Amino acid sequence: MSGLKRSTSGPGERLAALRGTTPQSPHDARAIAALAANPGCARRALLDGAGIDKDAAARHLGFPAPFGQSPFAITRGNAFESLVKADGCAELLRMLREVLGLPIAEVAYHDVENVGAHLRHAHTRALIDRAAAGAPGAGTLYDHPLLSLEIAGSTAYLEPDVVAFQLGGRFHIVEIKSFAVIDGQADPSAVAAAARQAAVYVLALRALLEELGHDPLKVSHDVVLVCPENFANRPVATLVDVRRQLAVLRRQLTRMTALDRLLDDLPEDLTFDLAPGEDGLPTRPPAELADALRRTDARYAPDCLSACDLCFFCRDEARQEGASDLLGRQVRDELGGVASVEEALGLADGTRHPAEGQEEIARLLRNAERLRKECLA
Amino acid sequence: MSDRLDDLERRIDELRSAVRRAMRARDTGTARVLRAELRHAERAWDALVSTVPAGPPEPPAPRLVTVREQVHQALHLLSAPAQPRLIVAVSGAFFGGTIRSAQLTSLRRDEARSFRSSPYGRPYYLCAALTDRLSPARGLLTLSAWPLERRVIGPLSPRVDFLTCAIAIATAAATAAAGAAAPDERATRLLAGLARNIPGGADGDVAPPDPERVAAAARAELAVHAERDTRDRAELAQRATSQLGDVARLFGAATLSTIVKEEAR
Amino acid sequence: MSLLTSLARLRALHEGVAQPIATVRHCHLSRRPMVFIPLKLSGEAAAPLAAMLGTDRDRPRLLVVTQPRNRDQRFAWAAELAGVLLPYVESFLADTETVERRNADPYERALDAPQLVVPNLGAVAFTRLLGRSTRFRRTDGPYPVPEEVPLLGRWLTYLGERASYPGSSLMPAATEELGRHWATGQSGLEDANLAALLHWITDGPTDDAEDPLIWPPAGPATDPGFDAEVLAPAIDSGSPERVTEALRTQLEPTWRLMWRAIDLLAGLPEGASVAQRWEQDRASFSGMAAAIAEGGPPQPRRDGAVAAAARLARMERAQAAYDVQRAYDDPLVMAEFRLTGEAFAGEVVETDPGHTEGEGRSRKLRPLVVVKTDDPVRLPAGTALGTPQRRGQGAELVSAAGGLVTVKITKGMGRGRTPAPGAVPEVGERVCYTSLTDDFQGSPALPESESTPWTHGGPPQEYVPNDDDAQEEWS
Repeated sequence: MSGLKRSTSGPGERLAALRGTTPQSPHDARAIAALAANPGCARRALLDGAGIDKDAAARHLGFPAPFGQSPFAITRGNAFESLVKADGCAELLRMLREVLGLPIAEVAYHDVENVGAHLRHAHTRALIDRAAAGAPGAGTLYDHPLLSLEIAGSTAYLEPDVVAFQLGGRFHIVEIKSFAVIDGQADPSAVAAAARQAAVYVLALRALLEELGHDPLKVSHDVVLVCPENFANRPVATLVDVRRQLAVLRRQLTRMTALDRLLDDLPEDLTFDLAPGEDGLPTRPPAELADALRRTDARYAPDCLSACDLCFFCRDEARQEGASDLLGRQVRDELGGVASVEEALGLADGTRHPAEGQEEIARLLRNAERLRKECLA
Repeated sequence: MSDRLDDLERRIDELRSAVRRAMRARDTGTARVLRAELRHAERAWDALVSTVPAGPPEPPAPRLVTVREQVHQALHLLSAPAQPRLIVAVSGAFFGGTIRSAQLTSLRRDEARSFRSSPYGRPYYLCAALTDRLSPARGLLTLSAWPLERRVIGPLSPRVDFLTCAIAIATAAATAAAGAAAPDERATRLLAGLARNIPGGADGDVAPPDPERVAAAARAELAVHAERDTRDRAELAQRATSQLGDVARLFGAATLSTIVKEEAR
Repeated sequence: MSLLTSLARLRALHEGVAQPIATVRHCHLSRRPMVFIPLKLSGEAAAPLAAMLGTDRDRPRLLVVTQPRNRDQRFAWAAELAGVLLPYVESFLADTETVERRNADPYERALDAPQLVVPNLGAVAFTRLLGRSTRFRRTDGPYPVPEEVPLLGRWLTYLGERASYPGSSLMPAATEELGRHWATGQSGLEDANLAALLHWITDGPTDDAEDPLIWPPAGPATDPGFDAEVLAPAIDSGSPERVTEALRTQLEPTWRLMWRAIDLLAGLPEGASVAQRWEQDRASFSGMAAAIAEGGPPQPRRDGAVAAAARLARMERAQAAYDVQRAYDDPLVMAEFRLTGEAFAGEVVETDPGHTEGEGRSRKLRPLVVVKTDDPVRLPAGTALGTPQRRGQGAELVSAAGGLVTVKITKGMGRGRTPAPGAVPEVGERVCYTSLTDDFQGSPALPESESTPWTHGGPPQEYVPNDDDAQEEWS
């Protein structure tokens, strides 16, 4: 997305310096939702704040992210979405009538994409403004709307699948996903991810209403999740309450905007610039980029492996440091305040003296060591 | 021969790995070269392993009616702007049609080209539906013979057109059923799909849809939207008539292509 | 996860090799297991792509849907799968034993049962979905399927559901069973990768395990890079040979890993309670076979309220029993309870085998045993105890102080004036006592299905599969 408005205040300048000549990478809803996954990670907050393409950075460092989407999944997703929207959104209208009691007369459909990419956001604003103001004939379904959200001083553009309005004067985000609901049950992690993503849209739409002087709570926290039912392609709609996801997200975005403190701690000359060449590929020596990243604190956890492009880089770093974080939160919690593998093992075999406050965990570890030795002898 | 096959398989494995490695490094140039080699090796392997030449078997059924003609038949029956998916389904259910959606993608462009080179040289054209910006609506086909009011799309038109199509299909299904021993399965399935999206159109999913009932339900809902839709469409049609030339009236006005660098706020 | 396991993980990370967290095998291993590795088409709920399966490690069967979007081919694949799986399952039905029951008719229990070994929990879930998508199909009517398909669906459903029953070994997942016996120096999330987990246990960790070009994923999802670069072009080429060979490359490495996993588990001696749990599996298997033979309907889409509650209670009891049995079978598992003070072990330093309590007719034999232990005992006096060394015996904690614990034996020492020989441990013997016991409360009182209260949906309608189930699209 071109034409991002950039703040030029202090932190903005500092973030621009971190980015250097690298073009700003836009946030999408999935990325914003993922921010909530590891709120304590300063490295991630800074990279996202500066709008660095973490995927490109990870590749360049020799630690490409283990993610990818199968072309079959993409095709299926697109086919399902077009099925839901086919024939004047016939399936979607049926479901909204069933799930939300949408009146028969409410069928007006606006395809925001008809206006061309550069005007979509402005057109979305105008349509939403009219609808919120209760103008007659303002419409019911808005297809391909373009919303925006301020993320740490830069604007992220977001495209919910559909926004539905006029359901008791409220807006509902409609999220179309192609994972199946079988006998009333769906993969919980897929539902959770969809809810987090939908929460981002709810937040963006609320922000827009507030900016236009309307009541932001006109956007319902119940989103309409549309999935294929059982093994057929037939869509089914479910209301999903995203209040909890909204709360987490809001808190996380507040933290993101509080980047100043993180920025203050950084060395003056620090930059994550990938120095892209004419072909867009990074030219900065990978070792130099790695050094720059290591000067920021990461909080690696195995969960990062499913959420963050830089996960393999940070895992490698955690390995070199011998951090017990590698083993997962459960192990870390069991170990109380003992962060390094070396230290924990030292306490267990008694070659290291517990520091103050470590007496209890040290006693437990020594006991555990004794029991393991006894049982495996 | 099996030595040669072994060699080829080894080569194919190596090339596949190399392609995926290149893709992971986003080295598209190398990937493209490797892919070409890979395809070459795969074709050689196919040739060795298959007794019959590989490739999707092409049923050599003589196509008496052109794609264009089949689309025309279906649209004529529907009598409202429709998406390729529905056109294909109608063609299959009522005309023994053989078209696939993919064959319809370039149709509108071809028609426009033909019209430009010799305007009104054909008895009819498959053309676009027009949005409220008078641009071509995505994925909708119409017939040039239709009045402009039917070819423009107001906010309620997608629903109105869906109901209009449902009535047309129900009527056709009733006619077809009257003349046949058993109802055509494709027609039944098509009608059932429409029926469940119309209030009062069907009882659950199990019973086969009753065409009369589907048509009656569609007419009932249509009555709710008709007045406003007719008004909206008349207005749009008037605008189209006064603002558009012949080509644009049939195929839609070009969208504003100027790139606005500044975010409109 | 316990601190003991955490410590084992730390040690594994430090040493660069997985550490044992069990001294015996806690799952049954069949003499004739069938390895089953299913693959599915990405983005679809239950569209099978391929499966590699068989009971002979040198002769895997490869079944492939060469046009995965073609519905007829999918059902043909399911029929092929049935052709391999059903004879295997049915081969266990011939040899049975008669089991007498109190308050019920005797029944026939199979002497052995099938064991379908799958790579991971994803394969279990996919198997259940395959079962769900095939068990309602009809062999006649508008969308007929081959005869064996609905039967296959019922067995897959059964096995998939049984897999979530604690302690069952009818359909074990390799990653779960390995993870129960070894701790790696990586997280549980990474342990779900069979290649990575096995490398930790055998040759030591390697990042190769995460490279799909070296070790393709063990399914059911395939590597997206493979989908894009190999599978999609192969499908588009219309050449069944190419699709088949492509999928073979993705399955063969996992096939080898699976047998390696089985060998590793087979290297451990079997735990004492494994046979008992396998007996339950055999009984459950026989019950399922009987239900099919009697012409019962396929499993319903969803349990009714009472059935669901009963099932939950059964699972909870099974979980509790499984936990206790493993501790009794395996000192290393018991060590977790010793660490938390719910068990203790040590040497017998003093006994009073003839100790009695009460006078006259109510005089009872209560032998006393004093155990010296280094374990932190956190049990109050009066706690009922059991011991792995003498499983039928009951005991009670009398006092614990200064590393000396006095225990009195209350049950299972014989009915005479003096204890039966061997009932009281000798001085110098190593013993272990724990508050964990295997006698659980009976099933909760649940109403009969017919009297389900209205708050829980009322009595469920008897399940009759309808045309809707049978005709459901399988797109």
